Parts: sequence; C-alpha cells; structure tokens
Amino acid sequence: MSSESSVSNSVRHVMSEVQAGWTPHRYGVLLFAFLLAAGMGPRFQVFLLTEFMIVALFALGFNLLFGYTGLLSFGHGMFYAGGAYGLAIVLKEVGPAIEAYLGAGISGGVSLLIGAIVGMLLVIIIAVPVGWLSVRMEQIYFALITLAFGMLVYSTIIQNPLDLTNGTDGIVILLGSVNIAGLEVRFGARRTFYYLTLTIFGLLTFGMYRVINSPFGMVCQAIRESPARIGAIGVDVRRHRWAAFIISAVFVGIAGVLRAGLAGVASPELSHWSTSAIAVIATVIGGASFFAGPIIGAFVFLYLRWAISRVPTLEAYWEFFFGLLIIGTVLYFKAGATGGLLALRRWASAFLKARAQTGGERE
Amino acid sequence: MSAIDPIPLVSFADLIVGLSLGSRLFLIAVGLSLIFGVLGVLNFAHGGLYMIGAYLTLLVVSIGSGNFWLGVVVAALGVGVLGVALEILTLRPLEGRLENDTDQLLVTFGAVLIIHEGVRTIFGSQSYTLSPPTYLDYSIVLQSGQIGVYRLVVIGFALAVMLGLWLFITRTYFGSLVRGTASDREMAGMLGVNVRRLYTGVFFLGSVLAGLGGALSAPLQSTSPALGDQIIIDAFIVVVIGGLGSISGAFVGAMFIGLAQSLGPQFISSGSIAIPFLAMVLVLLFRPRGLFGGVAE
Amino acid sequence: MSTVLRTQDLRREFGDVVAVDGVSLTFDDGEITSIIGPNGAGKTTFYNLLTGVLSPTAGTIEITSDGEYTDITEEPAHVIAQKGLTRSYQITNIFERLTVRENLAIARISHLGRTMDISSAAMTDADITARFDELLEMTELTPFADQRCDELSHGQKRNVEIALALAIEPSILLMDEPTAGMNPTEVRAVVDLIRELDANLETCFVVTEHNMDVVTDISDRIVVLDQGAVLADGTPSEVLEDDAVTSAYLGEMGADGHIGGIS
Repeated sequence: MSSESSVSNSVRHVMSEVQAGWTPHRYGVLLFAFLLAAGMGPRFQVFLLTEFMIVALFALGFNLLFGYTGLLSFGHGMFYAGGAYGLAIVLKEVGPAIEAYLGAGISGGVSLLIGAIVGMLLVIIIAVPVGWLSVRMEQIYFALITLAFGMLVYSTIIQNPLDLTNGTDGIVILLGSVNIAGLEVRFGARRTFYYLTLTIFGLLTFGMYRVINSPFGMVCQAIRESPARIGAIGVDVRRHRWAAFIISAVFVGIAGVLRAGLAGVASPELSHWSTSAIAVIATVIGGASFFAGPIIGAFVFLYLRWAISRVPTLEAYWEFFFGLLIIGTVLYFKAGATGGLLALRRWASAFLKARAQTGGERE
Repeated sequence: MSAIDPIPLVSFADLIVGLSLGSRLFLIAVGLSLIFGVLGVLNFAHGGLYMIGAYLTLLVVSIGSGNFWLGVVVAALGVGVLGVALEILTLRPLEGRLENDTDQLLVTFGAVLIIHEGVRTIFGSQSYTLSPPTYLDYSIVLQSGQIGVYRLVVIGFALAVMLGLWLFITRTYFGSLVRGTASDREMAGMLGVNVRRLYTGVFFLGSVLAGLGGALSAPLQSTSPALGDQIIIDAFIVVVIGGLGSISGAFVGAMFIGLAQSLGPQFISSGSIAIPFLAMVLVLLFRPRGLFGGVAE
Repeated sequence: MSTVLRTQDLRREFGDVVAVDGVSLTFDDGEITSIIGPNGAGKTTFYNLLTGVLSPTAGTIEITSDGEYTDITEEPAHVIAQKGLTRSYQITNIFERLTVRENLAIARISHLGRTMDISSAAMTDADITARFDELLEMTELTPFADQRCDELSHGQKRNVEIALALAIEPSILLMDEPTAGMNPTEVRAVVDLIRELDANLETCFVVTEHNMDVVTDISDRIVVLDQGAVLADGTPSEVLEDDAVTSAYLGEMGADGHIGGIS
C-alpha cells in the first residue's frame, strides 16, 4: 500500500464524511473555508487569525503527547523556540549569502524554506535526547523534567552561545520576498503571511488527523489508557512515547517558525515555561480528549482574551477568567469547550426535532 | 566592626546573602515538600501563596501601626487560611485521584493564574520595596563587604523553623500522623486517620510557612506580581533535589540553590542560571526520590 | 501436541522469602492447565516471572517458536509478548475509553508489528481488521463492537479482556482468576467461553483459579502449588485424590466449592 494511495483514500474518506451530515469533518472543512475567506477581512482580524492558527498548531502538537499519549509536558516551549531561532539564525547568518548567490528574485523564499528546515532540524536535535531521557519518567515527574529541560534551553539561549542567539534581546526577523512573474510577494505582508500560515495549518492539521488515526496513533491512546497492558501486548512503551515526543516536537517547531515570522522576532521567552503553559491552557480549555480540542481552545484563548481586552473595566482580568476556566474544566467538565459545543449541538438538534414534531401532526 | 574573611575564595558577605536566599527558599520549599509528601500534590500555586505573604506584610506595614512583625504574623496566618480555601475548592473535588495525577498540576496552575491576576488587580503591577525594621536595618562591616543584620535574622528564622518542624514531626501526635500518612496513605485511612482533615492541616501548615517566607522576604527583594512565578520554579527545584516530604532535604536543597544563585556568577562567568535546572534534571534522572527521600529525615 | 513453554528450576526470592521454589513445568499446546494453591502459594509471582514483570533469582523459562526453544528468562515484558506469551488480568485491564473494536485493533497492530505506521488508517485497514469478526464472535462481543469499554458490564469487560489477549495470537495465554467476583451465571459463561476457545484455537491455556468447580470442569491437567513448589501435577482425578494435596489444603474447601481465601 503506497502512501500516496492512502492519502487519497484519506481525502476520499474525509469528503464522504463531509457529505454524510454534520460531522466533525464537515465542521473542519467549513472552518477552513471560513479562514480562506477571512483573509480578505480587516487587517487586525487577519493578524489575530494568524496568531490563532499558530497557537492552534502549537496546541495540536502538544496534545498529541498530552491528550493522546497521556504525557503532560511543561517544556514544549523549547521546541517553539527551536523553530523560531532556527529561522531567525538562518535569515540573519545565511540570508545575505543566499541573496548574493541566488539574487533578489527567489532568495526570500529560499531563505524562508531553509530557515524552516533548519528550525525543524534544531527541534529534532533537541527532541531526540530530551525525549529519550524524559520518557523514563511518569506523570508529574515527566512534567517536572520537561519543565526543567525547557528552562535549561531558556538559560542557554540567554547565554548567547556561539554568539548566535543575541541573548535576552532575541533576534529580529525580516522576512524577504519573492518575485513571481514580475509580481513581488512580500512574506512579511499580513495577508501573504496569513495565507502561508493557513496553508501550513491546513496541511499540518490534516497530517495530525492522519497520525491520530494511524496504527501509531491508536497505540498512543492505548498507552494513555493502560501502559501496563499495552506492554503486556507486546509494545515497547518507552520507545513509542519517545517517537510521539519527537513528532509532537516537530509540529510545535513548525508552529515556532511561523510564530517567529509573525512576531518578527525570536526571543528567549518562547522557551520559558510560561509559554509552554499557553499550549496547556488552550488544550485543557478546549478539551484534550477531542481532536479539535486544541484548535477550539486556541480560538477561545485568543478571542476571549481579545474580547475581554475590549471591555475597559475587564481588560486586565483575562488571566482570572482562564484560571477559573481551567479549574472548572478539570474539575467539573473535562470535555472542555469542545464538549460544550457538542452538547450544544445535541441540544439544538433535539430542540429542532421536538419543534418539527409539534409543528406537524400530533401523535 | 571588622573581621578577617574566614573563606578565602568567597567573601563571607556573599555567603550570607546566599544563605539568606536559601532560607527564604527553605520556607516555601519545605511547605511544598510536606504537602507533596503527605497529599501527593505538587502545589503549583505555592509561589502565589508566598507572594501573597509578601503583599500582606506590605499592606500591614503601610497601613495601620506599621509594625513589621505584626505584618509577618498576619501574612503567615492569612496565607494559611487562603491555602486551606485553595485546598478545599480545587483539590478536594479531585479526591481519590490525587496521587501522581496531572490533574492536580493543572488545577493548581489554574489557581496560579487567578492569584497572579488577583494580586495585580488589587496591588497593581509595580514593584514595591520594604525596609527591614529600623532596629535591624544596619550592616556589619567586614573587610570583604557588608552583612545586613536582617539577613542573619532570616537565616536564624529558617534554622528555628527547621528545628521546630523536626520537633513537631517527630514529637507530636500530629507529626506522627504526617509521617505515617506520607509513607502509606491507604493504610492511614484504614487505620481511622481522618485523612481529609490531616490533608487540610498539612496544607495549612505548608501555606503558613509559605506566607512566613514571603513576609520575611519582603525587605530583601522587590515585591511584584511576577514574584510568584519566579519563586515557584526555584521551589520545585529544591523539592526535587531535596526529596519529597523531606525537611532536611528541603533545607539542604534550598541552601544549595541559594548559594548557587549568589556565588555562581563568581565562579562561572555566564550560565550560572542554568545550574539549578541542570541539577534538577540530574536528580530526576538518577535519584528521582531526591537526595533525602522520605519524611522528617 | 508439542510443548509450548517450559520452565526449569525457576526460583524467585524476595529477601528471605522464597516465593517460587524450583518450579519445573512444561505446557503443551491445546491443553488447559489449571494452577491451584492457597493464597501465597506463589501463583502470582510465577505469572509475573513468566510475563517478564519480574526476573527470576535462578532458573530458566523457554518458549518454543518454530519448533525451537528460545530462552526468554531475561527478556522484557513486551518482547515476551511478541514471542507468544501473554496474560489476561484478574481486575480487567483494558483500554477503557476506547471501543471494543479499537481495543482489538491495538492488539492486532502490535501483533503485526505496525506500531510505528503513521501513514495508514488503522480502523479501516484490511490486515488489522482481518480477525475482528472472528474474535468478536468467539467472545460474544459482536453487538458491542463499537461501544466504549467503560460503558460495558463487568462480564462484557471480562470478555474484552480475553479477546484482547487472544488478538495477538499467543501460543500460550495465562489467565488470572477469570471467574473472580462473578455470580454463578457469569461463571458458567466464562467456562463455556474457555471451553469453546480451547476447541477452536491451538492456544495453550493456563488458568489460576480458586473455584474448584471451574477447575474440575475445564482442566485437562491440574498443577498444585504450595509454598512456591509444585506439590502435584497431573489429571484432575489424579490430583484430587492425591493425599498430599488433600491434606495440604483441599480440606479447607467449603461447601460452595471454594478454597479458603478469596471467593
């Protein structure tokens, strides 16, 4: 079975699900269509939506490890930083050389691509040993050691090793441009970057969807449910967790590359545990047990924060709300926002059905 | 007054600074460690409690009589009560799935956000400083530097607390309950120990200590809403290194971190901030129970 | 009939306590062996040694694959499972929040060695779902195939427990007190299930049990353990008439057919 045919099988499956009714797949496609159109909207919203997609990717990658494999990491910011700094360093150190070599026409795009690849490589270089060491730990200790590793990376970045990271100030990023048939496409332009992000968001979300539903993903879930049993069935739990860790890290790394592009800077705070906490907050609020949880959680995180900031009296209180939301979700409503939406849908369809019945003949 | 430096490599003054840093860390870490040892909960919000201790002291000093020690008492007890409220509201509902479950980390992290926001709302984002009580606000001058007398007082407090805790845990009935429950929770419950009340009691004790630590620290550091986040990570490191539930471990760990932070930059020109994290990683990998695992050892 | 598993002088000490004392046993395919003995006789430790959870202080464990004996004494648990030895648990240990079908899928994925496959869709894969219908039918779970396991009854979960173990096509399945905590109807159901599985599969079944009715009903062979050593080993009639066995503990048997201990 070649991977090409299974991709097309996947696409066909999604399409059939979309046509079958109000399935998650349909909502996903609708979301994508909405995002496609929204890129033409007001500039600030475009910015906010770009940020949403990036945080959603961060959370999605994080949730492969948390919601699906059962490992809570408080250090995933180190991969966010890895991607960001990979891009930043390439653009700063190698960018001019690329431009000189390839000319201004395509060097912007090439630099960006190389930067992204280096970012991913950097992330993998960090994730492999850190993952191998960390998966030896269970539960809270895993959270603690990942937190420690994340902070270690943070302290290292601040040190300005090899004079590459520019310490606490971070590295400023200027995305270049490419010349396509006489038209200059500036990557740094809001809408351009938005559509770039949207493309990657779409591809990665689809990719994660496939990973979750693959044999690999199913085993991840089994590990979450009962590591002892899955071991007794013949699976090397540690090795599998390690693999999940690395895949999760790569997703977050790509999000980091995009983050750096959007913010225009790669800064050490990305590796701080408080940044890692963003993925945690978004995922938990959204509902870690759902595929869409991280995405919806990221949306809630960003838009609730933005909405609260619009109301002058409430402006500073967003942390308060999120603190309450987290506590409320973990204690009383594990299904999170996604669960809430599903419940809403069920209620809505039941309501509509009841209305239809009373509107028709009495039985 | 002057004296000859006893330690050639590091100045005595720096040593004292490190030990006073360690003393403050000890106060917050030992409470965290006890709570982890007995309840199995790693209270993320402990840094926030420490921070509230500092703010309450500031509040009492700036309004009312201005008596520092009154502020300390109010802070310690106030934070104790707050800690109990926290335990009842966020951890009780998790009863039965407390141990080693990441839910407790999430829930106490939610509390961190609330506390952080609460403090910011009430006190604002600026940082405050406080001078030690005037009769303690002077320094002993040495050849190498000055030693603030207040720092010596703080170190004294830490030693007193450690002694007091040790006596409390080994000599009192409550202490024996703590030790027993820490080593076997289920057994304790079956033997008729009112585990719920014990949990609340230990949480109260741990919170009081955190509040005390925050209060005593107010004259030594600037107090701002960022304080909680800063200190909790150090506290985690101390608890990991020292061992969960170990009082002496918390002491040794705290002093190690305190000294590393004050003396580190002298030995390693850059990168000393990485030392605590490196130590944490190493301990987790090779001696996850900490250097002193166990209660009241 | 060929030997699937054999242990030689298997021994496990915990400090001064000898939990398993020089146990040498062979297990043949197609056979149902019950292991009985008072609590503390070493049954659990014996299982843990076989499945790789514990390592023995002395002795060897060998499993046959392709007609040859392979030493699995020091192998980790997951390797032993891959070599064909697995167990079911007394307290059901299944993947609760996944459906029955998904539980089976995971076992099949492991058996097929496709745990690192990220490019196919697990639940629609032909190879993975190949034996689903068969397994579901054998364990009478067909109507519940798409239900989450945490929504099933205790008895149904027990069947998932067994189906999960069988899905990796083990050559030997260790069952840990499969009828523990069940009422007579449920016990009957499990007994019938084991009988039917034995008839249809070549798997060797090893069952630890306290319920003597069940033991006499299904066993081709009974092994009696006492204080870590093999007290008797033979057909049910041989063992149950053995004076040493009777005096050692069968005298404790109560009217309900259970031996002193957990019923």
